[in-house]
Amino acid sequence: MTVALEVRNLRKTFPGVTALADANLTLEAGSVHALMGENGAGKSTLIKIVTGVQGADSGSLILDGEEVSFANPLEAMAAGIGVVHQERNVVREFTVGENIALSAVPRRAGTVDWRRVWRESKRCLDMLDLDIDPRTPMRELSAAQIQLVEIARGLYRSAKVLLLDEPTASLSNDEAERLYTVVHQLSAEGTAIVLVSHKLDEVFAHCDAITVLRDGSTVMPSQPIADTTHDEVVSRMVGRTLADLEVEEREVDRTATPALELADVSTAAGHRRISLAVHPGEVLGMYGLVGAGRTELARAILGLDRVVGGEVRVEGKPVRIRSVRDALRRFRIGYVTENRKEEGVFLLQSITRNVAVTVWSEISRALGFVPGRAERSAVQAQIEALDIKISSQDQLAGQLSGGNQQKVSLAKWLAARTKVLIIDEPTVGIDVRTKRAFYELIWRLADDGMAILLISSDLAEMVTLADRIVVMDQFIVRGVVENTHDYPLMSAAVMSHIHGSSVEAS
Amino acid sequence: MKRIISANNLLLVGIVVVGAAILGMATSGQFFGPVSMTSFFRFVSVPILIGLAQMITLCVGQLNLAVGAIGGVAACFTGVIVTSWGVPPWIGALVAVLTGAVLGLANGLLVVGTRINGFIVTLAMSQILIGVQYALVGTRTIERKAWPELAAFGRSDILGIPTIFLMTLVVAVIVALYFAQTVSGRKLLASGGNASAAQLAGISTDRALIVAHTLSGLLCGVAAMVSISFLPGVNTTVGGDWLLPSFAAPIIGGVALAGGTVAVLGTVLAAMVVRLVDAASPIFRFDAEVVNFVVGAVVLGTVALGKLREVQASRHASRIRSLRAEAALAEVKR
Repeated sequence: MTVALEVRNLRKTFPGVTALADANLTLEAGSVHALMGENGAGKSTLIKIVTGVQGADSGSLILDGEEVSFANPLEAMAAGIGVVHQERNVVREFTVGENIALSAVPRRAGTVDWRRVWRESKRCLDMLDLDIDPRTPMRELSAAQIQLVEIARGLYRSAKVLLLDEPTASLSNDEAERLYTVVHQLSAEGTAIVLVSHKLDEVFAHCDAITVLRDGSTVMPSQPIADTTHDEVVSRMVGRTLADLEVEEREVDRTATPALELADVSTAAGHRRISLAVHPGEVLGMYGLVGAGRTELARAILGLDRVVGGEVRVEGKPVRIRSVRDALRRFRIGYVTENRKEEGVFLLQSITRNVAVTVWSEISRALGFVPGRAERSAVQAQIEALDIKISSQDQLAGQLSGGNQQKVSLAKWLAARTKVLIIDEPTVGIDVRTKRAFYELIWRLADDGMAILLISSDLAEMVTLADRIVVMDQFIVRGVVENTHDYPLMSAAVMSHIHGSSVEAS
Repeated sequence: MKRIISANNLLLVGIVVVGAAILGMATSGQFFGPVSMTSFFRFVSVPILIGLAQMITLCVGQLNLAVGAIGGVAACFTGVIVTSWGVPPWIGALVAVLTGAVLGLANGLLVVGTRINGFIVTLAMSQILIGVQYALVGTRTIERKAWPELAAFGRSDILGIPTIFLMTLVVAVIVALYFAQTVSGRKLLASGGNASAAQLAGISTDRALIVAHTLSGLLCGVAAMVSISFLPGVNTTVGGDWLLPSFAAPIIGGVALAGGTVAVLGTVLAAMVVRLVDAASPIFRFDAEVVNFVVGAVVLGTVALGKLREVQASRHASRIRSLRAEAALAEVKR
């Protein structure tokens, strides 16, 4: 077998986060190679470096025996590396055909050769058995169709190496099967394929080899799939994260009035009859795959999306939450967002302002003047409580490490004395040590009587942190599982809720 | 509090001092004479006020292309009601400020209500208002003898410093306090710095946009009032040349175009720099085109320089990170 692509000792750091520490991968021509790892293990970063989206700090890429480095995605494409990224990268205003041909528009005498655009894009769609006219505007497609067009795009330029980042995340079983037929066809023609997936069954059914990343390092280097087992892969993925952490046995009084309760709630975003309750002192996990509707439910609770049916109760009383302001001031519900850079912190402003933003109205005096000393001491209390590492309150939030930024984002909710805290993917992109500190912090907040609704796609994190796990799929609650903190057992229980449902549906 | 004396402000003070010195030498000291100095401070008031007006919209991530049109309408409206309706000049001055605020409020409501980009809203608004200004005064000039009290105020000084300049400084201090110390000012900065984070923290970003446009209009109104009191009269040309200086002052002064920051002192100093270029034109017999060329080039240069600094800073940071990574790797290998 010849080696199509070799990744050696790749390293990439961002301010405060080591995304890749030492990543290695040997990809043989004509093989389907699974790349697995938990969220934040570095899979997407690895793909971005191989495809020229980002540069590596150190390490090397060897393509067909020659060392290469790509300054931009175009260079990678020209070298024969194709990719389907996890995020959607389509131009919604263009047609399907234009989107497929975007990376190399066929030209004739300097103008677009439309006949070839339609013909070539049709060929890609046909490979996937997709019955879509290339002239259809992109915005008329469903989410799953867009995902399939993304894959068709990856097929447009014949690639020596094709990387697929979670291609089946939003596909039905039938659509996924069709995709794998094409994958096998391509690999038979000699294309080397890297498949990033969270779905173990798919990986074992369709891949020839596997590499597992954990915390940015390769912990299972390029093994034939036949030489390993489900259990081994899972334990490598989870690694010491679980073993290291002593799970606290917590007592939660579930007879008390729930701090927040949803009864048969339906939303404009598409949730149907959601019922759940989180009690003071409880960590209620909300697990589901990407697109299951968890963040959307949080938005509905906060008044950002409309609740169209059912009842929301705060401390037993039915309420109507109209805005985030309402949620915060009247009902003391806070939301720690998933994308802290995009939605959690004000990067260009001081720590003081970042934390005090929720309390200005409360502490302000005549004419809306904020008393500086009261503000700083309120902030100082949270900095100490959360042990945030800063040199001064005047430091800008943008200068802090990822973990400390996350703490700053959390501190503003503590300053506002919230009683219910919705925490969305708290440890994505955070290193193991900080992660652990964060877990302990979440327990401490719960012990102090806060009700916590934890959203996470990281099952290991769920099993560690939550008292109960609500399993969500396609905007429906599929089941509630009492957490025994036993990973294999819980994994099976949670997965049976998700898969059981999809069997029913099809 | 952030340091008030930033590197950028020091640089601007340096440019003002050097520029003034050059003008002083070219006029053999006459530039520093009482007449010339008084007129310098009098003429710098409007650029400062409209610079601050633009700064406030920039800080929420918007812009105001109607600064001149709002000021022009406010000035002409006051001229008309004082001369034709017999409204007392002092009331007229107040009406100018209020007119500015109301027109700014209209901008804000349109931006929030229609969700049309602020660029389009204020551009269209400026064309509409220029029409209104023409409808108000036509081709005539309403001379300042119609408001002797205001004209006297415009000419008055305290210890040789024009009163209107001192008033402008007071306005600048109020604006600075507003952003540094009040809840409302901070909410503007928060929603300009990161709209979704602000929204999730319970801040109404819509309200921030409306408040910012209203305050911006109000400052244009103040600039109109100042114009009424020191110009020989008001006509359709008032406000016509405000757009470039309104952007020049905050941008040279160090305000981020992306929103989320203000620089009151920087804006005031930068307005003075721009005014020096203006003051130089009769001395060196520059044409008006040359002045515009210089101001435009300085704005472009400042923004380009800022970008360059940003790029260098991020390169520097990534070099440090990779050095650290190598050191850590060496440690592990050992």
